[in-house]
Amino acid sequence: MLEASWEGLLLVLQWKPFAFMLVGIVVGFWVGLLPGIGGATTLALMLPFIYTMQPVEAFAFLLGMHSVVATTGDITSILFGVPGEATTAAIILDGHAMAKRGEAGRALGAALTASLIGALIGAAALALAIPVVRPLVLTFGSPELFMLAIVGLAFIASLSAQGARGMLRGFLAGGLGMMLAMVGQDPQAGVGRFTLDTLYLWQGLDLVPVLVGLFAIPEIIDLAVRGTSIAGDAPVGRISHGALQGMKDVFRHISLTIRCALIGTFVGITPGLGGAVAQWMAYGHATQSARNPEERKGFGAGDVRGVIGPGAACNSKEGGALIPTIAFGVPGSTSMAILLGGFFLLGLVPGPDMLTKHLSLTYSLVWTIVLANIIAVAVCVLLLNRLAGLTSVPGHRLIPVILVLVFIGSFTSNSHYADILVTLLFGAVGYFMVTAGWPRAPLVLGLVLGKIAENYLYISVARYEAAWLSRPVVMVLLAIAVSVVCYPVYQAWRARRRGTRA
Amino acid sequence: MKRRQLLVAAIGLAAAPLAMAQSFSGKTVTIIVGYKPGGGYDATARLLARHLTKHLPGNPTVIVQNMPGANSVIAANHVYNVAKPDGLTIGTFNRNLPIAQLTGVSGVKYDITKFAWIGSAANESTILAIRTDLPYKNFEELRKAKEPVVIGSTGPGANTHDFPLLLKDLVGLNFKIVSGYSSSADIMLAVERKEVDGRAGSFTSLLPFIERGLVRPIVRARTSEPGIEKLPVDESFAPNPRAKAIMALRSAPEQVARPYVMPPKTPADIVKVMREAFAKTIDDPELVAEGKKTKMDLEFTPGDQAQKILVEVMHQPKDIVQEFAKYIKFGE
Repeated sequence: MLEASWEGLLLVLQWKPFAFMLVGIVVGFWVGLLPGIGGATTLALMLPFIYTMQPVEAFAFLLGMHSVVATTGDITSILFGVPGEATTAAIILDGHAMAKRGEAGRALGAALTASLIGALIGAAALALAIPVVRPLVLTFGSPELFMLAIVGLAFIASLSAQGARGMLRGFLAGGLGMMLAMVGQDPQAGVGRFTLDTLYLWQGLDLVPVLVGLFAIPEIIDLAVRGTSIAGDAPVGRISHGALQGMKDVFRHISLTIRCALIGTFVGITPGLGGAVAQWMAYGHATQSARNPEERKGFGAGDVRGVIGPGAACNSKEGGALIPTIAFGVPGSTSMAILLGGFFLLGLVPGPDMLTKHLSLTYSLVWTIVLANIIAVAVCVLLLNRLAGLTSVPGHRLIPVILVLVFIGSFTSNSHYADILVTLLFGAVGYFMVTAGWPRAPLVLGLVLGKIAENYLYISVARYEAAWLSRPVVMVLLAIAVSVVCYPVYQAWRARRRGTRA
Repeated sequence: MKRRQLLVAAIGLAAAPLAMAQSFSGKTVTIIVGYKPGGGYDATARLLARHLTKHLPGNPTVIVQNMPGANSVIAANHVYNVAKPDGLTIGTFNRNLPIAQLTGVSGVKYDITKFAWIGSAANESTILAIRTDLPYKNFEELRKAKEPVVIGSTGPGANTHDFPLLLKDLVGLNFKIVSGYSSSADIMLAVERKEVDGRAGSFTSLLPFIERGLVRPIVRARTSEPGIEKLPVDESFAPNPRAKAIMALRSAPEQVARPYVMPPKTPADIVKVMREAFAKTIDDPELVAEGKKTKMDLEFTPGDQAQKILVEVMHQPKDIVQEFAKYIKFGE
């Protein structure tokens, strides 16, 4: 196995694959920065270029591109509060709050370092998991996937404000999100739900316009109302000198970084959960690290741990997502489905062979993810302080540019004018939620997990009737979900007891 | 004098599409795909787009534009009502759009038989395959199954759902259909972990798993292709003519599995040029080689033939359509 891994590294380090990987990184860099233009679309556009390449070169190119997208997506999210990718929305909550406080450099430094470590851990997990990957993936049937979605939803408890009122609001927002997830044709009877008799809503709400509206529009309004730059009155010197501090932050919270990276990897390995889930679970886990209610309140107002968590998860999941694609020929996401097309194009049949006959090629994929991330982060670090400087540009110059990016970004999801309407509508919802003190994260979590939960619950019951409840992994996951919900309550109780004692 | 110049200009404009039929030089031909990138419809369109330019007079630029939504009804409505009939817009969409029109789905604003049909770029053969470790080796044994055989599906309207549904309800096979999987790949994984016993789907998508020995093909729909000619056809087990008609109706669009059309009233000479170009493109050795690698086997059905099949679909007796609509919903 070690030998294959070593061979894989040497394969990538040949000059041609390496050069192709650099080209891929350049492309992915820009795609990630621009909101809305997703990694999947770009992969589809780039696929024809690999016809004449060797497998190693082709995957260095495609994966190099793909693994950078999420990294640079963080940058847009932090600087402007506009989700650069659907998978980098969670980092906005604390990342952009830090930028507004004049700590854009620190937030970027932390996010990039965390995502580098996340990528390394994800790749390491992939490399280690390769021998046991088949039993691992096959353990997770529909009942287990349903319970995983429930565990994800349980994180609403951590994503909400403390106290009965905060919890109530959180779970209500989550419920609203799950209702929004129901929009569209249902997969059991084929009946249209909440489609308002429009064709646009037939296949449900698209995540990108909703996320962009929910997060970007309130920030833009806020920026316009304040009439200053994003960083407000924060001294310029402080804005552009925090990168190093951000990196140190990551190492200060190294165990949190590693845990969130593992969450990302795990979600990645599990086909069907989707990349948009990992960041929120990691963010929810990061908020659990608050030691007392005061610290908890700091989340959403610019706690660096809220940047590190999703940052680490968003890249570690890429390594994981490769596993079902390679080992079963079953892609876990649209991007992976396109990548699978690339495998066929090169005459490779993903499946058990990839773990035996083509093992060194498989390891070269792992190495590509590692190297591409190291290079992208290194480039970003060089540009970091310049990028952070953008937050001191006056709002009236910045807003038109951001608005254009926002609307182009959401329009690219369906090329339908209703994409813009959805963005505006959820912009209004988002603005209302922010001003009224309702958390937006539970709504997104409900939207992302609603459909998954519904489908897998239906399948579990239809296939196993009540027997699915007694499966051991299901019971373990149920216990985890319960403890995730109870943890904030326990925290509050502990704090109260300490308070009365003191 | 001035008026005459205007008149000449007007005639010139009116004649422009005719002149263009000879040459697309300097123009851009757009193929509108009713789905997002990543699926079979999109991949086929992109493969064609790359090679079509060589075979069109004047070698225009050919681009692919995705217009997803409502299982591609939005794209079909656009090509039918909005796009100009000048040969520069081609549409490709869900093969089941005729079914949507037939069953009166709201939102349909096209008449499938009135498009200017270029043709279909491929057939699709739907088969049902079950795990090799099950005791049933062929249709007759499957028919006698005592325990229900669990079939995974993505949802109504997809061939993963409708094909086994008719076998269950009309032929009486002992199936338990579990729907809601997010993709056919997702069902494949469920087959692998023995959550379900089999699935229906296109022969091409199941082939790698048949070759690997995971599943065994049992029965196919009307459309055949090399490798499955000998499989029994679902219609041959129909207990009565009505059931047979319903099965035939379900599988009819599979003969026009990758439809390519232009807006109605596109001049006949442009349609002719386009049909010829498509026929040549699909036979292009470079395209064939590429298609072989990506497991896309293209086969051209010219527009007039495709149109004939669809006119037949649209002219079913009312009672058959009503019966059909009880089982089959438009989706995916």
